[in-house]
Amino acid sequence: MADEKSNDLKTEFVKEHSIPTAVLGLDLFPDDKRALLACLDGGVYELDLESGKTTPLAKHDSYASSVTVLPNSNHAVSGGYDGRLIWHDLSARNATRTVPAHKFWSWQSRTSPDGKLVASVSGQYLCGGYKYEPASASEPPVKIFNAASGEVVHQFEHIPPVQALAFSPDSKLLAAGNLMGETRIWDLATGKQISQWTTPNFTGWGIIKGHYYTGGIYALMFTPDSQQIYAAGMGTTTDPAAGNGRQLWQRFAFTENPVRKVSETKDGESGAGLMEALAWHPSHEYFVMAGRLFQGKWNTAIFDAATGSLKHHFDAKLRVTHARFTNDGKRLILAGAVGQEKKKDGKWPNFGRVKIYSVA
Amino acid sequence: MFLKGLTASGAASILSWSGLFTPSAFAEQAKKDQKHCILLWLTGAPSQFETWDPKPGRPTGGPWKSMPTKIPGVHISELMPKTASIMDKLAVVRNMKTKQSEHFQGIDLLQRGAPPRPPFIRPTIGSVLAQQLGQLDSPIPNFVLFDPCPEGNEFKEFKAGNWAGWLGAEYGPVRVGGDYKIADVTRLPGVSDADLEAREALRSFFTKKYENERHSAAAKSQNAAFARVKGLMSCADLFDLEKLPAKDKEKYGPGVFGLNTLQARHLVENGAPFVMVSNGMPWDSHVFHNEIYQMLVPDLDKIIYHLVTDLEERGLLDKTLVVIMGEFGRTPWINAARGRDHYPDAWSLAMAGCGIKRGIVVGATDEDGVDCVDKSFNEMNLFATIFSALGIDPYAEYNLPNLPTFHRVENKSEPIKEILA
Repeated sequence: MADEKSNDLKTEFVKEHSIPTAVLGLDLFPDDKRALLACLDGGVYELDLESGKTTPLAKHDSYASSVTVLPNSNHAVSGGYDGRLIWHDLSARNATRTVPAHKFWSWQSRTSPDGKLVASVSGQYLCGGYKYEPASASEPPVKIFNAASGEVVHQFEHIPPVQALAFSPDSKLLAAGNLMGETRIWDLATGKQISQWTTPNFTGWGIIKGHYYTGGIYALMFTPDSQQIYAAGMGTTTDPAAGNGRQLWQRFAFTENPVRKVSETKDGESGAGLMEALAWHPSHEYFVMAGRLFQGKWNTAIFDAATGSLKHHFDAKLRVTHARFTNDGKRLILAGAVGQEKKKDGKWPNFGRVKIYSVA
Repeated sequence: MFLKGLTASGAASILSWSGLFTPSAFAEQAKKDQKHCILLWLTGAPSQFETWDPKPGRPTGGPWKSMPTKIPGVHISELMPKTASIMDKLAVVRNMKTKQSEHFQGIDLLQRGAPPRPPFIRPTIGSVLAQQLGQLDSPIPNFVLFDPCPEGNEFKEFKAGNWAGWLGAEYGPVRVGGDYKIADVTRLPGVSDADLEAREALRSFFTKKYENERHSAAAKSQNAAFARVKGLMSCADLFDLEKLPAKDKEKYGPGVFGLNTLQARHLVENGAPFVMVSNGMPWDSHVFHNEIYQMLVPDLDKIIYHLVTDLEERGLLDKTLVVIMGEFGRTPWINAARGRDHYPDAWSLAMAGCGIKRGIVVGATDEDGVDCVDKSFNEMNLFATIFSALGIDPYAEYNLPNLPTFHRVENKSEPIKEILA
């Protein structure tokens, strides 16, 4: 275990589950004993966190990118690179509805905290300019559906690819961020956009190797009062093949005009690598950011919400795509993958991972 | 320094030389017989899985499906629908297997067609074709390299090296594209045509005399450079993207690789024998693989479609060999960054046009794309194919004073006969 001690927080490795294929999305059942996984083979699985046993639910025709439990129900919704959203009955373990949401991938999908809405973001990066600026969208890349009926409630315009989204804790707002570091926020009651800004710090243009854009916003998370928002990804890099940008989050006061950057990963507290996951501790005193370690000491770090300071960090030895504290706050669940190994004895070794840490 | 044996394209060069004395008839014939090659050089090494050899549904397959093509039973990546619609004009090789897995060495191998043998420097494919297909009196450079990316790590290093090898500097590339403009080809104000010609005649007389008397390679290179600049001054408009039709730029653009490919087509239409188009090393997708390929492959798809279609519509496809390749392929397995790494063991390339069968796929890989099935082809097979397709003797011997014996293709390596017309 590679834990590094901090002054008032400690994590301890508990166990690891090996999954046949990479895990791109994870959510927890309310009892904290089981998780839902969205995987690279298109499968959506139920995982018993104690035993490691996986039970398949429905399957997407391409990568399954996200899965979230619908609050106050016995259902979950997954999104996939087949552009579809699938509603799963968690008791019967079957699909109850499939909605062709997008022509291109669902990069991320989420359910609203009140359980009434499902949102998904999409959009293909296509060449739109001499320097390979993204072309405009062929269809609205942000779509919101009625969780009960599956019908479209809102469709919002954005510049593709739109890679990350988040509902506000009060379920009144939706935020979506894209490759170019642009975040837009909409009021879900009126359908009107209430904020829009761009941060240049997550997007790289390849001076070395390739003249195109990489990076962008990979995770979004509102503050508990729904007044500010965090974005995470990787700092600017000029070498898209390296993925060597800074491990970065930024916090914005989006209700101000102009939108103000409140804080960001402090200098000297980060290494390099793409960050894909953000999650609050239930106390709201801490949050976790996790992803890939290219250079430095950690790929998983816990930050003090009040000061933005790094409180605790470690290298989980995998590329983390999703991080969650359990509902009781006592455990941290990391999902992701290690590198795929060559075939052994005619079989592809497992390369998906779910790691469980105690938090004290 | 010359090659033993007379080749079809060598004859074309002689016709052109003769054309100096009887301009109209011979020059016209030379132009008619001119063969060309456009190399779309996908530096960084493109993934075969997301282009020519998809494995949908396999653990190595990636997120994209395959789609049917104009060739019954043949599927390519769904990222290439336009190319799929003209697969009856292409030849795809799915069983390339080479031995270099690092960029510089891979580029060197696939640009020169044989492993290095220091201190001797084998010329690159562009230099050989410039010598073999080039017209002695052509103002258009015989080897044009479009590459707008000033950086590029290993490719930058390669570009700084010796392209023409033992053929001599006059067969090296003229490099243009993107922010690289052709410099110093504008005549100074106040210098008349007559003044320019007189100055050049005087310069040429003395430097040629020096070259001959001193056997000076430096003087020879300088003379070649002056000749090249003189030619460029007369054809600078051919390199001006702004002078090309807007509808063509819309088809190929807006990205710089497409626009440079359009310029390559335009140069070939005007007689250029060899044009290579590259764009840094964009295909090197260790990280953000899917995030990059979602854009790069559709861009390439459009470019291949328009290039092949335009050449055919202009009656140039039968005289122009189009080669689409990189220095190797990418791994079946996905790394921890969800990218694909370097993989020379089983990769793909495509060709179309001069000397190449239409609508054929050669070779295969196993269900996961790990190994070639049955047989494979290497860089020497590929170079023998390119030379054969263009009517150039692949096995001709270089007569190099005081040097070992070299051949255009060593070991009598066979061409990929299945795709030769």
